[in-house]
Amino acid sequence: MGEPVLRVRNLSKTYMQGKIPVHALNDVSFDVEKGEFLSIVGPSGSGKSTLLSMIGLLDKPTSGGVFIDSVEVTKAREGDVPKLRREKIGFVFQHFNLIPTLTAFENVDVAMRFARVPKSERKKRAVELLTQMGLADRMNHKPSELSGGEQQRTAIARALSNHPAIILADEPTGEVDTKTRDMIVKLLRELSEEGHTILVVTHDTAVAQQTGRIITMRDGMIESDKRVIIDNDIEPASTHS
Amino acid sequence: MNNFDLILRNVTRRKMRTGLTIFGIALGIFAIMVMGGMSEYFDRHANRGLDLMSDKIYIVPESGFFGGGLVDSMVSKVRRIPGVFDAYGLLWMPYDMESLGMFGAFVVGIAPEKQEITLKNVKLTEGRLLVPGDRYRAVVGSNVARQYGLNVGDELEVKSKKVQRASTITTARNFTVVGIMEFTSSDFDYIIGIPIDTAKKFYEMEDQLTYIWAVPEEGVDGEDLSRRIELGVDNIKTISPQELRKQSEQLLVVMNLITISAALLAAIIGGLSVMNTMLMSVSERTREFGLMKAMGAEVRDILLLTMGESALMGILGGIIGIVGGIIFIYYMNEYLATMGTVLFAVTYRLVIISLLFATLLGTASGILPAYRAAKMRPMEAMKYG
Repeated sequence: MGEPVLRVRNLSKTYMQGKIPVHALNDVSFDVEKGEFLSIVGPSGSGKSTLLSMIGLLDKPTSGGVFIDSVEVTKAREGDVPKLRREKIGFVFQHFNLIPTLTAFENVDVAMRFARVPKSERKKRAVELLTQMGLADRMNHKPSELSGGEQQRTAIARALSNHPAIILADEPTGEVDTKTRDMIVKLLRELSEEGHTILVVTHDTAVAQQTGRIITMRDGMIESDKRVIIDNDIEPASTHS
Repeated sequence: MNNFDLILRNVTRRKMRTGLTIFGIALGIFAIMVMGGMSEYFDRHANRGLDLMSDKIYIVPESGFFGGGLVDSMVSKVRRIPGVFDAYGLLWMPYDMESLGMFGAFVVGIAPEKQEITLKNVKLTEGRLLVPGDRYRAVVGSNVARQYGLNVGDELEVKSKKVQRASTITTARNFTVVGIMEFTSSDFDYIIGIPIDTAKKFYEMEDQLTYIWAVPEEGVDGEDLSRRIELGVDNIKTISPQELRKQSEQLLVVMNLITISAALLAAIIGGLSVMNTMLMSVSERTREFGLMKAMGAEVRDILLLTMGESALMGILGGIIGIVGGIIFIYYMNEYLATMGTVLFAVTYRLVIISLLFATLLGTASGILPAYRAAKMRPMEAMKYG
């Protein structure tokens, strides 16, 4: 394998809660190869969402760095952050976070507008992605007219629209039923098989079991990092204490 | 990035609220149109009046209109002063003897042969000017004609009033309208011109005059001549062209200050309502802006989106206010004309200023909300909802 698409190095984040420092992340390091389908699990407050927001450039670490495609994104100037977010990262959120006034098509389109993609190209790509997500006949519906699964698939199409290096999914199945959950996980897995790198933060062990690698977090640190064989046989990758 | 469709979508998201906000702006711009229309009319009126009148020197009694008075013999004295091309007397009486207000028509006694030099290029829409030998005949201004519904050949009753011992004697005479002047947007619109000889007899003024107007010879400086007239003729005061201009400009400045400040106040209230709406709308959409930033939207993308919304509300409010103002002014002028006056003028300048102001107001009111939206940290924003 070549250069990892994502390198997290000695990442720490300390919040001040009043006068008490809270160590949300404590010296976290790991690499992710291109095309990996990886889940980050752990109890509430273990630091998994904080980790995701650091990788997604939504928040700045106290120390350490995140490298995407060998670029240290955590060192980027404020003005360069939007461009990095557009080019390197695609987000999928628990609450879908679609813009309620826009149709499924427009929700995908709008992400490409921010990347200054020409209109004709945007249209082609949005139709292609939504069709791939099985939403060809739902494109002109607003989020309120779509089921949870359809909304999440729209959000996935949106996340893919700008060809990001990594897809970051924060509890993507948190608000859907088990049938939809399985469908979404299957979709994400297929995408990783196509070469997309996907990081999923989840509470749901059933989701984690479907990914190729599980990082378990506790108290801001990596407790374990295991590779998963497709038929649910678990094989340790490396273990951190 | 052309995001007009997104802007339009957001503006129409809450129709009631947007509608009320636009209505607020529209009211403000309406006030600017109406008040500004009044200002514009006075401005035009004063300028047109100056165009028509500022080539002459006005001579009034030293002690005011109702003091010593001007008499016929002074006219020839004025005429003899070097540099005076012509001089003639006028008798100027309120048409409605009960009122001495600013508005309303005036009966002006004028020598028929001096009409042309007085009216300059003002044309008649109907009929003819007075001619020597006319007695109870009148040429009327356009507002007078509209107020009393006069056509050539119609009779207009004019009253004179005279105090004799303890009683007032009112005399009424019908004057036949022989000519109607075009609309000049000046004091001429309020004139009922009758032959001066008839006027003197009718008002029993004998040899008295209200004004003497002196026309300078070509190339003679008006200011200079004014002073020479004052020195050459006793008991008179002159109003030179420059003074006339100064007086009228001072009046205009005061008028403009009053009208424009009232209108500005109304418009600023409209602007505050846009700001309020946008602040609400931005805080409701906190998560949306956070999401946009997470998708890689630049600060300027969000600034443009939100300021575009407020500018659009400003423009829409502006257009509605301008159209409403034009309609109001049209009907108001029609109505006022039946009472013999006009108060408003719509000019291109006024429309353009109103629209620019509305756009600017909308945009400026959006700055603070837009800045808030753009500065939102995606992490914080996503926590809402």
